[in-house]
Amino acid sequence: MAKVLFINPIVREEDVPRHVPYGIALIAAITIKKGHQVQIYDHNAWRQPPEVVREVLEADDWDVVALGGITTTYGSIKSLVTQIRAVRPKTTIVLGGGVLTSLPREMMTWLPAVDIGVVGEAFQTFPDILEMFDSGQKDFVKIPGTISRRMDGGLVMGPPRTLLRDLDSLPYPAWELFPLEEVYFHNSEHLFSVEGMLAKRRLDINMSYGCSLICRFCYHLGIAGDLRYAKNDAGEDDVEFDKPGSYSRDIRYHSPEYVVKLVKYAHGRFGVDFIGFLDENLMTMDVYSGRTWLKEICRLWKEYGLQPSHLRDGTALTEHWSGVHWSGTSHATLCTLEILREMRSAGCAALVYGYESFSPQVMKRLGKGATPTTNIRSFFWSLEAGVRPIPNMIIGFPSDDFDSIRASLDAWKELGIIVRPHFATPYPGSEWFHVYRKSIEAQYKGDLEKFILDLGDATKITGVISHNFNAVELLGLRELMLKFDYARIDEYEALWRAHHRIPEGAPSTLYQDPVPLKLAS
Amino acid sequence: MSGVLKGNYKAKKDVKAETKADDLESRFERQAMKRLGGSIAFVAKRKVNWDKKKD
Repeated sequence: MAKVLFINPIVREEDVPRHVPYGIALIAAITIKKGHQVQIYDHNAWRQPPEVVREVLEADDWDVVALGGITTTYGSIKSLVTQIRAVRPKTTIVLGGGVLTSLPREMMTWLPAVDIGVVGEAFQTFPDILEMFDSGQKDFVKIPGTISRRMDGGLVMGPPRTLLRDLDSLPYPAWELFPLEEVYFHNSEHLFSVEGMLAKRRLDINMSYGCSLICRFCYHLGIAGDLRYAKNDAGEDDVEFDKPGSYSRDIRYHSPEYVVKLVKYAHGRFGVDFIGFLDENLMTMDVYSGRTWLKEICRLWKEYGLQPSHLRDGTALTEHWSGVHWSGTSHATLCTLEILREMRSAGCAALVYGYESFSPQVMKRLGKGATPTTNIRSFFWSLEAGVRPIPNMIIGFPSDDFDSIRASLDAWKELGIIVRPHFATPYPGSEWFHVYRKSIEAQYKGDLEKFILDLGDATKITGVISHNFNAVELLGLRELMLKFDYARIDEYEALWRAHHRIPEGAPSTLYQDPVPLKLAS
Repeated sequence: MSGVLKGNYKAKKDVKAETKADDLESRFERQAMKRLGGSIAFVAKRKVNWDKKKD
């Protein structure tokens, strides 16, 4: 059986490590279940210098070193694979996750040390790679969901990998192989709620995969049915994701029993007092299940004794409670007051809402299925239910203009929202990456890899997709928004209009839809 | 010092490292970064060559 070293690359270097990588923890558990020898070096948690990484690479005779992560881990992955190849010239290097899946050909080109890429979901692909490795063969192209190298150095993709149907067949994540006590539990604090602030032993869980909505800035890592195979401009096999008028989705979720038993296990084995649900959108799953899924999870949460004691007893929250609080993601249009109340009663402390904007025209163009009205409705429903709404906001959408900025400011003021908005960022795999790729490349002087290295969590500006504002303008406007400085925004609008020669009475925008947009009155 | 490798078997060699929680310098820089602005400024020591001689 293969001897496998998993390495978790660094993500968000500016922050402390907060999240055990759920995907790697699951793949490690699957690999162990298949009988392989597994070690994990969590580079994001330990953040050790190259000398220690070298010691790790020399600590055993690894057959395979496997890495993966989201796109923003690319910088760390690039440096790691270079070092792995230098220290272990004959070890097979496998790369997976969203970073590889969004741009498989580019990644394999930029990272010549990588032998095999896992395109899309790795639950079945990675064990298949190890099985082939054990058999002494190297014909990886036969394995669905791979990209590998031919003898002549060219890249070759295996057939598409179908998604795992029975998610409950997955083993529990191998959390015990990560530095929970040494690192992660020290960073349990989750500043979305008082309960989150008080968390001392937090872990995260993904109880569903995918989202039925088509937000044009969103990327679903190739595990939401969003990944398709197609020929690229050079006639080679390649991947494609959402593009205008072409969307595909596959909704999958664990059973409520699996979810709650997993939480019970985490609570019992690791003393977990808070769970962060990583799901893209809990409400889309709930709707898909006919409004039974979340209700049943909440019921079982109580039945398994996980309901926080203060909610069970109807007393005030103090620093001492038993049970498990949790948080997750909601959707402005798809949530209901009834389910929010159920969730609160079971221990839900906060829900992240991607409100994004309070401008009708911007929201209509997002593909989110929400409006300023449903944003506001969900905000008050959440407060009424006792769940703290976390309003995520973004500026710099393609059609954002002075009016949309003022619409968001008005809503922040009215609702008491204090927020530092993200910048609309065209992550690879999203529809807007597809649409604006040439413009993004031009902003990085034709070097797409530079853009990938520049990407962060959208709190800083990278590739600009706004038709009206450049990077400098967006940075300035965000600062003025933070101060609710309407006067200076108005003043700049006059300058902007003069600069762009927009006549009196015409709207302050350069944006034009390919097809005119119909807005509801 | 903690072992940075964790697995389902014992690797040939142990690799030990100090946990970041013990690193006061990092802790200070992180806290200072949160309040950066106004009179709060700091020198990130790791980005400076402290041995550089004066011209």
